[in-house]
Amino acid sequence: MSNLILEGKKGSRHLLMGNEAIARGALEAGVCVAAGYPGTPSSEIIETLSDASKERKLYVEWSVNEKVAMEVAAAASFAGLRSMCVMKQNGVNVASDFLLHLAYSGTRGGMVLVPCDDPEALSSANEGESRHFAKLVEIPLLEPGDFQEAKDMVKWAFELSEEIKSLVMLRSVTRLSHASGSVVFDELPEQDTTAHFSHSGAFIDPVEGPMTTLPVTWRHTQLQEKLQQAVSKFEESPFNTYTGPQTPELLIITSSACHLYSKEAIDLIGVKDRVGLLKLGTTWPLPPKLMQQYLIRADKILIVEEVISFLEDNVKILAAELASKIGIKTFFGKKNGAIPTAGELNPDLVVTAIAKILGINYEAMPQAYGNRAKALADLGAPGRDLTFCPGCPHRASFWTIHNVLQMDNREGFVCGDIGCYSLAMLPCGFGTLKTLHSMGSGAGLASGFGKLKMFGMDQPVVATVGDSTFFHAVLPAFINAVHNKSGFILIILDNSGTAMTGFQPHPGLQVDAKGDEAPHIDIVSVCEAIGAKVSVCDPFDIQHTQQTLFELLEDKEGVKVLVLKQICALSPEKKAKKMYEVEIDETVCLGENCGCNRMCTRVFKCPGLIWDKEKGVSTIDEVICAGCGVCASICPAGAINKKEVA
Amino acid sequence: MQQVFGPKELLEDVFQNDLCIGCGACVELCPYFKNYQGKTAQLFPCDLSQGRCYAYCPKVEVNLDELSNHFWGRPYDGSPLGNYRKVLASRAGKKIKETSYQAGGTVSAIIIYAFKKGLIEVAALTDREGLNPVARLVTSPDEVIKCSTSKFMASPTLSVINTGMREGYTRIGVVGTPCQLTAVAQMRLNPLEKQDFVDPVALAVGLFCNWALDTRQLMSLLSEKLDISAIQSMDIPPPPANMMVLKTDSGKVEIPLSEIKPLIPHTCFICPDMTSEWSDVSVGMFEGRPGWNTLLIRSQKGAELVEKACKDGFLETEEMPQENLNHLSRAAAAKKERALRTLIRRELINTDKRNQRCAVRIPPEVVQKILR
Amino acid sequence: MEKSELSYDPYNVIITGVGGQGNVLASRVLGNMLTEKGLQVTIGETFGASQRGGSVMSHLRISAASSWSPQIPKGKAHMVVALEPIEAIRVLMNYGSPVAKALCNTRPIHPVGVISGEVSYPTPDELKQWVKELTEKAWFVNATDAAMQMGNPIFGNIMMIGALAGIGELPMEREDFEMVISRSMPSDKVKANLSAYDMGVKMIRQ
Repeated sequence: MSNLILEGKKGSRHLLMGNEAIARGALEAGVCVAAGYPGTPSSEIIETLSDASKERKLYVEWSVNEKVAMEVAAAASFAGLRSMCVMKQNGVNVASDFLLHLAYSGTRGGMVLVPCDDPEALSSANEGESRHFAKLVEIPLLEPGDFQEAKDMVKWAFELSEEIKSLVMLRSVTRLSHASGSVVFDELPEQDTTAHFSHSGAFIDPVEGPMTTLPVTWRHTQLQEKLQQAVSKFEESPFNTYTGPQTPELLIITSSACHLYSKEAIDLIGVKDRVGLLKLGTTWPLPPKLMQQYLIRADKILIVEEVISFLEDNVKILAAELASKIGIKTFFGKKNGAIPTAGELNPDLVVTAIAKILGINYEAMPQAYGNRAKALADLGAPGRDLTFCPGCPHRASFWTIHNVLQMDNREGFVCGDIGCYSLAMLPCGFGTLKTLHSMGSGAGLASGFGKLKMFGMDQPVVATVGDSTFFHAVLPAFINAVHNKSGFILIILDNSGTAMTGFQPHPGLQVDAKGDEAPHIDIVSVCEAIGAKVSVCDPFDIQHTQQTLFELLEDKEGVKVLVLKQICALSPEKKAKKMYEVEIDETVCLGENCGCNRMCTRVFKCPGLIWDKEKGVSTIDEVICAGCGVCASICPAGAINKKEVA
Repeated sequence: MQQVFGPKELLEDVFQNDLCIGCGACVELCPYFKNYQGKTAQLFPCDLSQGRCYAYCPKVEVNLDELSNHFWGRPYDGSPLGNYRKVLASRAGKKIKETSYQAGGTVSAIIIYAFKKGLIEVAALTDREGLNPVARLVTSPDEVIKCSTSKFMASPTLSVINTGMREGYTRIGVVGTPCQLTAVAQMRLNPLEKQDFVDPVALAVGLFCNWALDTRQLMSLLSEKLDISAIQSMDIPPPPANMMVLKTDSGKVEIPLSEIKPLIPHTCFICPDMTSEWSDVSVGMFEGRPGWNTLLIRSQKGAELVEKACKDGFLETEEMPQENLNHLSRAAAAKKERALRTLIRRELINTDKRNQRCAVRIPPEVVQKILR
Repeated sequence: MEKSELSYDPYNVIITGVGGQGNVLASRVLGNMLTEKGLQVTIGETFGASQRGGSVMSHLRISAASSWSPQIPKGKAHMVVALEPIEAIRVLMNYGSPVAKALCNTRPIHPVGVISGEVSYPTPDELKQWVKELTEKAWFVNATDAAMQMGNPIFGNIMMIGALAGIGELPMEREDFEMVISRSMPSDKVKANLSAYDMGVKMIRQ
């Protein structure tokens, strides 16, 4: 697919994912440096650019975290190059301190920050928002409303950024980033920029002077002037569009993917001649002249957006300021309950809102069909709980951790954070995780819990972190714990990659984003250098891991590190090769009898193990089984046999 | 056979009621119950409506009449020492070469002799690592001495009987406390009525016991006072000593019983059995005669074994003076009475309060007799 | 078939299955094939956590006229292509209608809840009966088994694309498939994929 991204000629039409469109837009804008941290739904932007960097002069980096990614991109901008940094919504929180200061110092080469938000938390532990940061740090905010815009807006964003010498936020959402649509290409420019950081000019010279936020209030005023410059460009922007009657009964104001939902909703209930659709691509600051032009046309205004009422609030503030010119309006949206305040939207939800305002009846599906379909789904479509993949080392790790804590019998617990192992909150991980927040937060919480002995807390404290998370956010918490003599066990689940987001590399591995060889930082050495005792086990070796964990529990003082090292079942390195051929001897299997009660299928629940109700035994599904052999170690009857594959 | 319940009821009746003594009867039957450092925990819920774990547990639905009828052919009568043929003083005979046992060494001698005579092929014994009790399935007489000397911690000894049965052993010996042998007795009744059941216990040797101690609390208490990895043996001498005496590599350490008694699990206070009434033979201290044991012979098998062991020089016995026997009887009766009063107070005897389940069932007239 | 001959505009296809079955590839291949025919295609997808054993859906909007929302509105799917049978029922519950059609792979992938004995999985006859009840017309093929005979169950999704072509509701031609697959796969894999496609077409046409 990357060939397509590079080879597509001007005028050619392609089916592209939103993220690919953004990447193509960056290439058409002549981007030189791109940095990010893996985060769904943003990761494909960096991956696509990384592929392109094999043939274009382009530096692409998976940074250790989003703050550093933003700094790396900013450096390129200071040196006069166009740069982009990419992250999911959480990443903006991580980078926010630098973001604030970067807004003050300004930029040189165009710099575009691309956060991809995840309404409905389809792949997140939150549905937080990045849009507010634009308002907070006073930088322009752009939101593409479809796939063509996802590409075209990027180039426009770079031009804007260079003109006002400030970074620009271009925000996408899952349903654009991961959806695909038609995109017509433009040309790719010649690449001949040289990097040079000019810094010997006057202190306040934006082009030749040092890059700093000082003096603060002066810079702040400068920033606000830049923003006003952006606003005047927004008034004429082709990304703000209106379709509908001259004086609609109802004006819908929307942005981002909601534009597509609203457009479809209007079509579904046939109100094209009653409802106007104002799609905004420039959503902070709102261009007042443009807004006045449309707000004046209708008495009823419906604002359709996900998730928090950012656009709605800003429109209302503007409407209040313009009241004498536009008159009194009736607003519909999140505040009055027309639009849900949590979760993502879709065409049906927008239809419901419009239908209620205009008094229309709409039946999406004949009721009889709907009732019957639901009844059949209850019978015939059992739900699919999330689980670890067959052969996942986490299943084995949490099996042991859970059992050791149960046997220890003091209500010990595990603090977790973000990654595939977040699933250990669920039955697939035996409900072992008892806290789950953000990247590295488990280690920080454990550092805190590990100091509560003086208040009578007797419970063993464990934190689980991933190998990528270790470098992203765990180090400060780990150092804090060792220095402050906190007592807990830090378990590093080292599966050799950033698995949940698609197996991107991190500094613990010997490759970089492009796939070239790179120096790796050895996790065990880092832990020892920080001053912790380190043990290393293979989580598939249940016996050894259990024994080691018991020994670590005996040791009451300080931070003990246990590295559970086993490669992810989906790792490209593993090439889906089975370690063992596994089979079950039905004559030995105890099934539901006292002495087993189907432990492998009822409790361990690896998808490769199937319960045969008729025969009353467990069987292996050879299509699904990954050949890790762990089930053979835990079967109480010894009915599961594993044979090493040559 | 009365109704057998399952692991869910076991959790409700025993674990949540703080009645678990950590005897190990439910451990190693399946992957769900495990014992670590003296504490039994359930790793995962099991939803079977009937389980051996519930059936074996000595703290739920123990029907003493049923046991008595099965083993002695007559109803339970509440007599202080339970059913027995003879009481003797005993000690290890000359053929027992090692001397690192406690008091008279009777238990070690009997087990070693049982091995030598092929009466048992393995024995479920209790070893100790520091203060951590370790269940061992011993396969030869040479290993028996390693498991000698008293341990006062409640130990999951029975777990290795379960392991042994799974491995196919059919002549298993066991040395256990009264609660443990109650569990063994229930095990031998084939509570889940399996077709191909064969009683695997070839010899049950009981120990006298008034109470046991919680392993973890004991570890915690003693590790402050001495190096617990250097303990050679533990003893609680008869009154008026009022001490626990520990022999270590660097000498003797004495701990006042006032510090030890708070570590008794509450579940010990509902136990009416001081002399392991469901054994072939039971062995205890002989107060006032160090180097000797009290030996209660209960079953035919026990009687024959003792006789042969004496003849072959593995055991020595003497008459037990009536006075000592009376003293023993009185102590046992006192424990029975105390236990019954606790059971009544906690509504754990003969009640159907908790969904028709209780800890012990004894015919009411026998209860009255004991309390008089 | 000419592009103006779409029986509905937009023509809404849902490709559904279990994470890991190649749902995304199938939707891309189909989308690109139809783009070659000059049609406007919008595809909506969910990646990420749903891969870990969860249900996945790709919504394809196929239009001669314009682009549409990446999510198909309730009750508006015209064709459901199910790589796994119970996913067909799940999808029809929200997106089906009396005029919907379905193409189902019959090989089950058991949800963890079924494996662990908590819920039961319908019988093959029940599945067929219920899918037929909820659609105007339904086709059932065992693409996984056929793919396994070819040497790898992963070809199942390509077979389903072939089967969809065989049904004839959409303007899908073998040359378009060949061009699309050659663009996105290394050349040594193209032949196998073409065989899979052909087998899919055959499974419907015979």
